[in-house]
Amino acid sequence: MPREIMHRQAADNEYLHPDFHGALSVGIEYLHEKYGEQAVRQYLWQFARTFYAPLTEALKTRGLAALAEHFRTIYELEGGAARFSLSEDELRIEVDACPAVKHMRQRGYPVARLFRETTETVNRAICDQTPFAAELVEYDDLTGRGIQRFFRRRCQGDPC
Amino acid sequence: MISCTEFIPAYSELFKFLEAQGGREVVEAFWEHLSDRFLGNLRSAVEQNGLRGCWIYWSRTLNEEAADFTMELDEEAGEFRIAMHRCPSMARLLQFTHIEPYHDYCRHCDALYRRVLEPLGYQYTIDLSECRQARCALTISGQPL
Repeated sequence: MPREIMHRQAADNEYLHPDFHGALSVGIEYLHEKYGEQAVRQYLWQFARTFYAPLTEALKTRGLAALAEHFRTIYELEGGAARFSLSEDELRIEVDACPAVKHMRQRGYPVARLFRETTETVNRAICDQTPFAAELVEYDDLTGRGIQRFFRRRCQGDPC
Repeated sequence: MISCTEFIPAYSELFKFLEAQGGREVVEAFWEHLSDRFLGNLRSAVEQNGLRGCWIYWSRTLNEEAADFTMELDEEAGEFRIAMHRCPSMARLLQFTHIEPYHDYCRHCDALYRRVLEPLGYQYTIDLSECRQARCALTISGQPL
């Protein structure tokens, strides 16, 4: 066989490698096994507080529209069917099937027992120290189908 | 949901979190675990196709990751090479102004792939000397089939 060469520039392709969901799932399951449930939540909390800090700031200044914009982009990019209901005080996202879970199931990758925390803990962390709170109203571990709710805190006792 | 386009910073932060649990050895142990659990597709591609399995595996991953690279396969010479002109993962991490990449981020590629390929009889070398410029070079050689 002659020598084969492939050359690509970044602009030749779209950046979308869904197998990364499987690698994240392995990481979450590893933390769970080695360090327990709290380590999973602690890691995701720390990651979200750090990485999504600009989104948290946007949430403070622009309100829930900033979150809706962020999640619309993600679900469109990943091909996930999601319905958005947005008002000044509440954002509700109904997801028919989480694109990450769907991809892992299709490829035969194991889905971490606490994979739901990539939604629940991450959403709560994004809302931390803002006038808003997050709640995972429904979640199906098998498909990732679920309802996420973000709402304006009414008192200090509201979940953060 | 954490998008797959946000995985790289999540991965980098995971390495930091693990290191905080017990040092560098803990991160190394995770890389070994990830290699064993997650790179079965590379392992089987190489077992079935020899060096061409590397070509098959990285043809998909590097294109999906929108990497800037040159990949060469010379089966007669028993050599497969990747010249990574701009690694999409490291380049992405370096672009962020609000997070710092894990200090030894690039070495996970060495750890993960070496662990698959050397037991199959291949020589694996990687030059990470320019990884902070998001560049590296990988060579896999041998004809064990």
